[in-house]
Amino acid sequence: MAHTIDASKYSNTVKWEKTISDVNDEILVNLRNPHPSFYVAFAVAALALLTAIGFVAAHTIVGLGLWNFAPPLYWAVDITNFVFWVGIGHAGTLISAILFLFRAKWRNTVNRSAEAMTIFAVMCAAVFPLIHMGRMWVGAYWALPLPNTNNLWVNFRSPLVWDVFAISTYFTVSLLFWYMGLVPDLATIRDRSKGFKRLVYGFMSFGWRGTVRQWYHYEAGYGFLAALATPLVLSVHSVVSWDFAMSIQPGWHTTIFPPYFVAGAILSGCAMVYTLLIPVRKMFRLEKYILPEHLEACIKLTLLTSTIVFYAYAIEFFVAWYSGNTYEWALFEKRATGPYSFYFWTMVFCNCIFPLAWWSKRIRNNIAVSFVIAVLVNVGMWFERYNIIISSLAEDFLPGSWGHFEPGLWEIVITIGSFGLFFVFFLLFCKFFPIISLSEIKLIMPKPLSNVHGGGHGGAHSHAKGH
Amino acid sequence: MTINNMESGKKGFAIETDERGPVVFGPVDGPFERPAEKMVEGNLYMETEEVVPEVAPRESEAEQKDAARKALAMNIDRRDFLKLFGATAVASSAACVRRPAEKAIPYVNQPVDFVPSVGNEYATTCGECAAGCGVVVRTLEGRPVKIEGNREHPISQGGTCTLGQAALQGLYHLERRKGPSIKRANRVDNLAWDDVYELLAKDFAGKKVGILTGGSTGNRHQFYREWLRAIGSSESRLYTYESNALYATMAQAHAIAFGFEALPRIDLRQVNTVVGIGSDFLDVGVSPVYFAKSFSEARSLKGGKMARLVQFESAMTITGGRADERHVIAPNAELITTLLLMKSLSDRADAKGSANAKAIARKILATNANVISGGYEAVGVEKSVFDALATDMIRSQSVLFAGGSHSFDDQATSLQVATIVVNELVGAYGTALMIDRGWMVSPVKAGDMKRFVDDARGLDALVIIDTNPAFTLPASFGFDALVKKIPLMVSMQTQPVETDDLATYVLPLNHYLESWGDEQPAAGFWSARQPAVLATTDSRQAEDALLWIAAHMKRPMPYSDYRAYIRERWKAVAALVDSKGDFDNFFNAVLRRGFVGKLASRPADSLRDVASSVKAAKLPAAGTLRLLAPIDVRLNDGRGANKPVLQETGDAMTTIAWDTWVALNPGTAKKMGLRRNDLLKVETDAGTVEAALYPLPGVHPDAVVIHRGNGHAKHVSKISGGNGVNPLALFAKATDAATGMPVTSGATVKLASTGKIFQLAAMQKHNDLANRHDIVKKLSVAKAAEKMAKVQNLDDVPDLYPSLYDNAEYRWGLSVDLTKCTGCGACQVACAQENNVPQVGREQVNLHRVMHWIRLDRYFEGDTNNPQVSIQPMMCQQCSHAPCEAVCPVFATTHHEEGINSMTYNRCIGTRYCANACPYKVRRFNWWTHKWNTIGDRLQDRNIRALNPDVTVRTRGVMEKCNFCFQRIRDAKHTAKVQIRKVMDGEIRTACEQVCPSDAIVFGNLKDPNSRVSKLRADGRSYLALGGDPEAKEFGLKTLPNVSYMAHVSHREGFGESLHSEHGAPGSHNTDAKTETHGNQEEHKGH
Repeated sequence: MAHTIDASKYSNTVKWEKTISDVNDEILVNLRNPHPSFYVAFAVAALALLTAIGFVAAHTIVGLGLWNFAPPLYWAVDITNFVFWVGIGHAGTLISAILFLFRAKWRNTVNRSAEAMTIFAVMCAAVFPLIHMGRMWVGAYWALPLPNTNNLWVNFRSPLVWDVFAISTYFTVSLLFWYMGLVPDLATIRDRSKGFKRLVYGFMSFGWRGTVRQWYHYEAGYGFLAALATPLVLSVHSVVSWDFAMSIQPGWHTTIFPPYFVAGAILSGCAMVYTLLIPVRKMFRLEKYILPEHLEACIKLTLLTSTIVFYAYAIEFFVAWYSGNTYEWALFEKRATGPYSFYFWTMVFCNCIFPLAWWSKRIRNNIAVSFVIAVLVNVGMWFERYNIIISSLAEDFLPGSWGHFEPGLWEIVITIGSFGLFFVFFLLFCKFFPIISLSEIKLIMPKPLSNVHGGGHGGAHSHAKGH
Repeated sequence: MTINNMESGKKGFAIETDERGPVVFGPVDGPFERPAEKMVEGNLYMETEEVVPEVAPRESEAEQKDAARKALAMNIDRRDFLKLFGATAVASSAACVRRPAEKAIPYVNQPVDFVPSVGNEYATTCGECAAGCGVVVRTLEGRPVKIEGNREHPISQGGTCTLGQAALQGLYHLERRKGPSIKRANRVDNLAWDDVYELLAKDFAGKKVGILTGGSTGNRHQFYREWLRAIGSSESRLYTYESNALYATMAQAHAIAFGFEALPRIDLRQVNTVVGIGSDFLDVGVSPVYFAKSFSEARSLKGGKMARLVQFESAMTITGGRADERHVIAPNAELITTLLLMKSLSDRADAKGSANAKAIARKILATNANVISGGYEAVGVEKSVFDALATDMIRSQSVLFAGGSHSFDDQATSLQVATIVVNELVGAYGTALMIDRGWMVSPVKAGDMKRFVDDARGLDALVIIDTNPAFTLPASFGFDALVKKIPLMVSMQTQPVETDDLATYVLPLNHYLESWGDEQPAAGFWSARQPAVLATTDSRQAEDALLWIAAHMKRPMPYSDYRAYIRERWKAVAALVDSKGDFDNFFNAVLRRGFVGKLASRPADSLRDVASSVKAAKLPAAGTLRLLAPIDVRLNDGRGANKPVLQETGDAMTTIAWDTWVALNPGTAKKMGLRRNDLLKVETDAGTVEAALYPLPGVHPDAVVIHRGNGHAKHVSKISGGNGVNPLALFAKATDAATGMPVTSGATVKLASTGKIFQLAAMQKHNDLANRHDIVKKLSVAKAAEKMAKVQNLDDVPDLYPSLYDNAEYRWGLSVDLTKCTGCGACQVACAQENNVPQVGREQVNLHRVMHWIRLDRYFEGDTNNPQVSIQPMMCQQCSHAPCEAVCPVFATTHHEEGINSMTYNRCIGTRYCANACPYKVRRFNWWTHKWNTIGDRLQDRNIRALNPDVTVRTRGVMEKCNFCFQRIRDAKHTAKVQIRKVMDGEIRTACEQVCPSDAIVFGNLKDPNSRVSKLRADGRSYLALGGDPEAKEFGLKTLPNVSYMAHVSHREGFGESLHSEHGAPGSHNTDAKTETHGNQEEHKGH
């Protein structure tokens, strides 16, 4: 899908009026005094995080019973958040790895923050399987295939074990990928700072000097990691979807789940990238770098995945009906009309209907409207997971065991807390790291000595040739 | 190998066969071979001298007393407790002989017959109600850990009811009083027992002392009479009271009709039609386990036939839920209904019964002609129904049961008399009802309540023994006022009750598991009671205390203790059964077996002219709401209310635990604009209570049903205090003239919403089958008979995998007969006791976090005024292709080679994926560490001492579920291995199978084609839950459970044919029967 975006087209239209030192100065402005709104945002996020830590501590000590969910819903908001955050994580790697391999130049302005988002989102995701077990000290140890005297091994048939591998691999590769991209930029910061800061950044940049030899290895390694990360984009959410698809619950046990989940993940990820870029762009005055064209490209990707998700929703219903399976169809009917229909329709409208407005180029380029739609898509994607988990579990096979669920205080606080965790890390990133990849921006800038001032065509072309 | 040499009947102790046919009153030999008992080589002690271990050198009496006092005064910790009890209980009851061994003996001197961790079983007689079921108590290290029905005992036949099963929670109840106390002026002082005897001896001297006690059929009442005489009071001052008025009214009616007080003994095996008019014989009745066993026998489909149950009732009872034909009648119309049935019978020329009976019937009908003519309309049932029923009853063998706890009105005795006449007309006496041979002894004397009210003013002192009239009598009955006039009151109770508040002396009594005694459930048939443990608190047996008081009065009775008295009385029993040997040997042998006797016979009486005793009141007026207050199946009249396991079992029809609810016809509720959980003000002339509404299908539109049992005073128990309300507060003073029993039904009520909502702890949120066909399968009798003829292999399912069981010796399986299951809940209680399943309290129940390993799913179908009821016990199905096993990341749940989904509790990390994957939702997660002595803020009486040491106790974060009582399987396999043989069929009984009063559950080895469970699984009626329709080559989920269900078979018209069309689309909610899935978080938010 990504190859449909003509990468050169974007670099063509970008009108750069900056010099390389402008790039350094203007992007690294965040390392100095940020906008006051930064501190407000950080305080709010930290507060949410600390509250949630308190709640998690309490439930770890007292018991999972403090949460509001109960049989037949053995999973509820905990796993909703897990899947939601794993999904968010997807866009980062997609943008940085797949679009890198396809040479989509528009990614160069957004990939750094998207990758950071991935790292933090996966961290948020990893928290939930841990805390939802109630006794994380047992779970964290036994869920891993560690050697032990009892010769107890993990069950490789269980999707939860695949989850452990998928998430940890994904996190490791994403982290390496992100950090590798950071190295030249950290070196730039090192070169521009003094004293203790210089020491720290120097340490983090691993002695980067920007020699040709280093660039050569860097490029090769970066490409390699991109290739390694690419299948992970598809595999991680497929594995997460198997958490559901491998059981026999109606509404879970369907073969469409892997592609449907991957598309949904990219949808939510891209929407989250957009949601994050808009305030960051304002807060750190990066409007000159993150151009409307880049934002539009992001929206187009979101729109594409939204239509895929729309199709998946429709085909899920069709298959449920066509299968003739009473249990399956009863569940889908109830999703749309039963006690959880609010969540269902919120999901449909947010993920499928509202994004349709983006078919209009005017709306696509209207940042305010698009921002609202992107936030709604994020809401919709959270509800999608909620909907899948709650409505399938609440009323499954035996009517005698049916139950009902509405989130309670603990669910809400800990969910908000996961956003707190995410934003604390993201804002720290915004404060101490280059939000836009300096080195990659420089790559798509016109050659300093080019006659075609501000024209990207030649620059991009020659860069491509250079490989 | 002899399976059981006590069975042969030659030894002098067995029940004789009846000349009417095969063993009429004996263990029913069921549809299968009688399973093996525990195999023990050698003699069964029947004729050998008892070997009693000499446990310690004798000491002087003073030393012994001193030691005993010290032992009791010690602050005993668990370990010491185990040692002490292990030793003392064994010493006291080893070989069922009590010896004064009061010294703690360490295990280094291991007593004979005692192996740590191997249970000793003692036969005794249940004392929870007056039915006198024989039970076997399993003790481990001297602690009773499980009560089971005595399988040889003809009353219990191995089953117990919920109440009987929960007795252990009574024994170990943390709220039992620690010692006697006296109320002086305005303070309460603790006393030593010696002081109690001294003081009471003075108080009683020369006074008119009376005793008020609960029902009993044994020697207890006779002892009280003798004691009263011994201390100089009068024998006639013994008053008996049971809140189940069926005893008194039936006894009284038989006294009127046949001249002697008794209850007929039933035998339903040959009966084709059982008719119930307001009867609750499967709920509480007179002997619920015995009735359920007998009814279950009648309901076995034999030769394509099974008995039909026709029920007329205005409440929705368990009995009504089982009915093939259920007619909803107006409240308090039971007598009129019986008369209408009598009329239809009498109109037929071929009616059975003597000419005398027919004449009496005609006379009764003539007296009540005015009521009968308008009766059909008032009752709400057409004449054709009665005519058809009359034809059926006369042509086949039939019996009528009438009256139950929800229909005790001022005509209760008349109703019983009319019932006797009807039963004469259908020829039930002599076939289904026995009054001439081994009739049931009435536990109470019929007119006692009337006598008590008359005499109370004249009494100087009243001793109340183990009954709680302050709670179980309606306030308007004026019990408080009556006893306040008595200068001295002594309350002797096993557990704190409301009656204690009225007493000067409050004396703690031994639990029945700590007591000696006997019961005589059927005339001539004796059931022995012996202690299974020494008194766990400083309590005494009531009779022993009375003996000491008499001794202190210098008017001693010639017995050292009550055991001596029992022995004395049993000499007559020994003579009765022609025991010629040594009496000690006889006595010990009886204690070992639990019962003995020879059914008494008497010449059959002819019916007396009872016409004058049956006079129906005027027709019930339609449209006025009337209150019915049935006795709760679980809590009985309130005596079970302080046991959390009973509170949490949940009512069969509403599934409500912990609370009291107002059951109302859904249509009436709708008309009044009331919804489920609306807190109602229920008002009568006599009082007001507030309770929440549960619209219950099947209740008559004019009936308001509020169960008794809850509504105890706060200070009485932390378990029951503040739970629900007591509907008896709503009845104005009225009594049944013939017996003096208070009226507990029919009060005109006004209902008004208080505008508040009270979330009833109903465990089931959805009440119909939502159009699903492979959950509860239903068959008409004809279809069932057809299917039964075919043998099927439920495991013959196309499968990619090789069979799991080729190499195993056993494959455990369970079969549940949905036709027999009544929903009484005994299996839930038994399971909780056996497997240390915690109770979670009402807040957690409301969150759906009950821990029951066996759930009773109840489904309504059809007309909300008269629904079909199906009950489905749902436990782990032990799937061969278990969805739970594949998804566990750490192998905490794995497949045992013998077909069980094993749980490794300490491997579980709590991902709960298994529970999500389970299509039956039978896995239970420990959301908390359930403290063994608290439920939330409530004290839990599940004493840590009552835990079954064979079963691991689970902490929070761990998944648990039914595992077919694996500890029992392991024990049996171990025994078999030692004896170099295979485990025999019936040797292992899971707790649920063992307890089931309806024999609905059968466990066994599926690898053995001759095992009972194999045969049932091969029966054409069997199916696998969620197993699709194998006949149509549609195999559902293909989980291949080792639990199979036998389709619900009923004579109901159109049964087994789809009723779903009226519900619309699959999964849609039934409008009225549906109880909406409210958010149930209100109570929980506080956490």
